[in-house]
Amino acid sequence: MSLLWQNIIISPMTNLLLWIYDLLGHGPHMFGLAIILFTVLIKLITWPLNASQVKGAQAMQELQNDKEWQDIQKKYAKDREKIAQEQMRIYKERGINPFASCLPTLVQFPIIIGLYQSITHALSVTPFDMLKLARTIYPFQNAQEIIPLNSTFLWMDLGRPEAIQILGFGLPTLALIVALTTYVQSKLTMPTSTNPNDQTAQMTKMMSIYMPLMLGWFALNFASGIAIYFITSNLLGIAQYAATGRANWRNLLPGGDKTTKQPQPISKKK
Amino acid sequence: MNTKRLTLFILLALGVIFLSACSGQPLANNWPGLATDTEHAYLAAGNFVYAVDVNSGKEVWRYPPEADNKLLFYANPVLTADGQLLIGSTGTEHPFISLDPATGKENWAENFTKSKGGWVASPLVLNEKIYAPNADGFLYIIDLNGKEAAAPIQLGGALWSAPSTDGTLLYVTSLDHHLHVIDSSGNELNEPVDLGGAAPSTATIGSDGVYVGSFASTVEFIKSNGSHEAIATTENWIWGSPLLDGETLYYADLDGKVFSLDLATGRQNWDAVQPDGPIVASLLAVGDQIYVATEDGTLLALDRDGEIVWEKTVGGKIYTTPVISGELILVAPYQAEFVLAAYDAAGKQSWTFAPEK
Repeated sequence: MSLLWQNIIISPMTNLLLWIYDLLGHGPHMFGLAIILFTVLIKLITWPLNASQVKGAQAMQELQNDKEWQDIQKKYAKDREKIAQEQMRIYKERGINPFASCLPTLVQFPIIIGLYQSITHALSVTPFDMLKLARTIYPFQNAQEIIPLNSTFLWMDLGRPEAIQILGFGLPTLALIVALTTYVQSKLTMPTSTNPNDQTAQMTKMMSIYMPLMLGWFALNFASGIAIYFITSNLLGIAQYAATGRANWRNLLPGGDKTTKQPQPISKKK
Repeated sequence: MNTKRLTLFILLALGVIFLSACSGQPLANNWPGLATDTEHAYLAAGNFVYAVDVNSGKEVWRYPPEADNKLLFYANPVLTADGQLLIGSTGTEHPFISLDPATGKENWAENFTKSKGGWVASPLVLNEKIYAPNADGFLYIIDLNGKEAAAPIQLGGALWSAPSTDGTLLYVTSLDHHLHVIDSSGNELNEPVDLGGAAPSTATIGSDGVYVGSFASTVEFIKSNGSHEAIATTENWIWGSPLLDGETLYYADLDGKVFSLDLATGRQNWDAVQPDGPIVASLLAVGDQIYVATEDGTLLALDRDGEIVWEKTVGGKIYTTPVISGELILVAPYQAEFVLAAYDAAGKQSWTFAPEK
């Protein structure tokens, strides 16, 4: 971990997390609550980025359903260079930024990694980890009071992977909830497409399968504090998308993601 | 599976690996644990416990013979009067293990499935019972054959340090800011003593009480009836155990200052000596010298007036308390080219030990 990464990302995030924890009274269950509040705060800060991502994805999706664009694809099916030129022309005419949907994700990626590292950093499980944590804490923090963190939250130890023992079998409840909420979020945000050649829609569909599995696996094997972050983040993401009125609830039903819309031209930029 | 799907899958898999690699496993490594007798040094370092010949610095045995990634060792091993070497694992599996110190063969290994945490702390053996504190906040009581001798006692907080005893009572420090006083039957006496900060090291036994350093940057003196007072303060956390030598109490803090307190008068014997780095390891007294190991990888010998007799750059970072074996001072640096080094009383290096892969 480079010193720059440590100083710019990890230290501020860890201190913010500890400050919230201290504010809550640093008792049992409070670190779980601190993670939730911390996630809410991060979501609020990155709200404009998320909104921009949603808007960009929507614009790209509308383009895929656009009749003019589909006609161009058919007309220049064997000329990729021409298609690229036409695509750029349409982007320019309609004010579409092709990076608007992926750039916010790239910006948020360091935040997500930093958040994960901050949580594991705060939940020092070895003396060496705690010594490192001691060096991270800013002077204004009430370090001697809040250290060590109480990692108990509900039935969980946030520093360890979670499983509820049922008849001798460890049921990974949080991992299942992570996978479920990730699936619901990706399905709700998955737009309909009428274009059979729409690669974006195909990729999104694949993502809605792989992402829940990946994050579920992550929650299964790593500290349950991370699973709390994933679940909170997913629920807030669902709420944010629902607030825009664009949530595609039909996608949650079997066969609900089948395309039904007819291609329509979209308006040009005035 | 078409190419695009495969590409996406590979990208996601790489994402998982990236996150896992850059973020560290939940059970990370730590500085080594060290113990010794007249023949061997016993070093708990990562996946192995090593026995090293103190005369030659050569490896005698290692446990387990082949690395097992589920096992991690970094507590100080403990030798028992009946010839066992006790060590617990802090890995994803955390058996509590008894080894033959001569051969490294396993006498017994109990998983203690009730314990949820690893064995960061060393155990204490008293009256043929093993008192083993666990990171899950319980003190486990085991007989010398590895069987549960009494129900575990829940003390609260992670227990990272070995209990100490005056022969009758047990004193157990906890990261939950408390010192617990327990009788040999496992009953906790009095209310736990609030130290004001986490206590990661063992309490030091005195003639009529114990001395404990903590993250509250104080040294507390606690009597067996639970009454206590802060007898010294520092400007930074105290990690190692105070060292009691006659009427003098030596202790050090994370600012790297070494103090010498006259217990009879309550006065400092010298202005704090400050070597080159923070001090986590406990101090060691041998003969007329006090040995100090710093995070910056230096081993120093001080005389009783706080003058530096000699100092040697060992390398790496030293967090493990040095131990004495015969005429040699053994030091176990962390993140250095070797894991163990021996020095004589004049500061001359006798040997270093780096395990073969």
